[in-house]
Amino acid sequence: MADTSVADRPVRIAPVPRTQRRRWRPKSPATYLIRLVVVVYLVLLVAWPVALVATNTFDGGLDSVREVLEDPDVMTALRLTALVAVCSVVINTVFGVGMSLLLVRYQFPGKRALSALIDLPLSVSPIVVGVSLVLVYGGRDGWFGPALESAGFQVIFATPGIVMATAFVALPLVIREVVPVLEEIGTEQEQAARSLGASSVQTFWRITLPAIKWAVVYGVVLSMARSLGEFGAVKVVSGNVLGETRTATLVVEEKYLNFDQQGAYAVAFLLAMVSVACIVIVAIIRPKEEKR
Amino acid sequence: MSIEVKGVSKRFGDFVALDDVNVSIPSGQLTALLGPSGGGKSTLLRIIAGLESADAGSIVIEGVESTNLPAQKRNVGFVFQHYAAFKHMSVAKNVAFGLEIRKRPKADVARRVEELLELVHLSQFAHRLPAQLSGGQRQRMALARALAVEPTVLLLDEPFGALDAKVRKELRDWLRRLHDEVHVTTVFVTHDQEEALEVSDEIVVINEGRVEQIGTPDQLYDEPANEFVMGFLGEVTVLDNVRLRPHDIEVMVAPGDPLSTPGTVKRLLRVGFEVRITVATAQGDVTVLLTRTNVRQLGLEVGQQVWLAPAAGAHTAPVPVAG
Repeated sequence: MADTSVADRPVRIAPVPRTQRRRWRPKSPATYLIRLVVVVYLVLLVAWPVALVATNTFDGGLDSVREVLEDPDVMTALRLTALVAVCSVVINTVFGVGMSLLLVRYQFPGKRALSALIDLPLSVSPIVVGVSLVLVYGGRDGWFGPALESAGFQVIFATPGIVMATAFVALPLVIREVVPVLEEIGTEQEQAARSLGASSVQTFWRITLPAIKWAVVYGVVLSMARSLGEFGAVKVVSGNVLGETRTATLVVEEKYLNFDQQGAYAVAFLLAMVSVACIVIVAIIRPKEEKR
Repeated sequence: MSIEVKGVSKRFGDFVALDDVNVSIPSGQLTALLGPSGGGKSTLLRIIAGLESADAGSIVIEGVESTNLPAQKRNVGFVFQHYAAFKHMSVAKNVAFGLEIRKRPKADVARRVEELLELVHLSQFAHRLPAQLSGGQRQRMALARALAVEPTVLLLDEPFGALDAKVRKELRDWLRRLHDEVHVTTVFVTHDQEEALEVSDEIVVINEGRVEQIGTPDQLYDEPANEFVMGFLGEVTVLDNVRLRPHDIEVMVAPGDPLSTPGTVKRLLRVGFEVRITVATAQGDVTVLLTRTNVRQLGLEVGQQVWLAPAAGAHTAPVPVAG
């Protein structure tokens, strides 16, 4: 008995250093090299330029930000951007969830074509979006515009046009987040709710929406960030009237071209901060939800 | 009659799932819809529940014409194979769902949920999420949720299909006992003939979209209406141009009965307490099922000469003429 236990001991001890060695092995020079490449790539492409916007903004202390915030035209532009972003996010969320349900839960001819069409805004240059909207809704010689204009509703060179252009470019973001989740959860929970007496509206609010909640939140955050930063399409349709249809991104361009770089950095910084705040807030809320 | 299914047909594209099905399911009983996969039994259950619509025919539930009634107005409880638990709700909230939809007073809901959780032995898990339960517990929760709304009929679609063998057997016994307590008209779909024979009061055998036979487990097993039912409910072998069950064959080691068929033991396969014996006879191989004890008493070995005869009282059927 004693013999066997002694003989066992080295066998039992032996695997320990081996597993330790295996655990350390991944940190070979190649691993460090790959990590270095990734870090350098991200720093050169993303972190450094964005950080420079921040440092340039605060070159002269808080003055540049204060100056920008005291400029009524900039404030109007920021307010317009916020209004446009909120409108287009609301439109895209309602439309996006509805569209996702249609695409996942129903069969109809032309479904694949519709699905492909939804990706169009991502693949088409925003400037094309702007031009095409002008062609349809343009006040003077648009296809639909003169009729609307005579009814007293101006689209192009006014807020509705900016909202439309922004909603157009951000359209697929909610749908592309929600569709895979809807496909994954399947229809059984909804069928169970129906058999328990829930109407389709009750089923949607109590079962479907809670199940896709996080996909919708991510879609909203992405749409919000995209809407705040939209430039090309908005530039075409807004007309860029100071204090009326000039959005924050257009202010950045205007200031930059007029050699007011400090002001341009300050507005750009504010825009970036809002987007970062959205992402940070979601990152903070989410793990708590999962733990529960 | 609790559920009347009349002339129901259903197609999915070219595939005929149900072809003019007529079934009457009696009140207060536990009825099994038994058949092979893809035979249409789940489709029939889903049509009864209103989760699927029939192309033709009518459904009457407890005297209420329900053919065109949406699922939420039929007052049926439905239990899915994969539980369909509401993942974001606690066990208690899952069970309360149907009652909350019906806007029952809060105190009543709480009391009823407590009762039901006790009934399915999940009281201590009331505040857990479905993800924290085992498969068997989730299915019991789904049952409580379906029973909460006091359904006219309880429909279960392969309720134990996703569970492992041991849990399946436990839940099966438990379902039978539960039904004896609750007495709600229950229909469950299964492809497991043992499950159907053990649990149900009545079995409806469905194959290729048609009803093959309706009867009690004993009737089906002892007097199968046709070849398919006989083969589906248990193993069948052919001895002397007669179809019968392998355990209904008597094995003798000496010639005595002039009607017995001589043969040679070709193979002995032990499965637990049973031994499957393949005997080569002049008309081909015959499968015989004996207990291990029987085999030892007879001292059977491969290559041994034996004589086979149908046991007294065995159900036999003539072999259908081929072609």
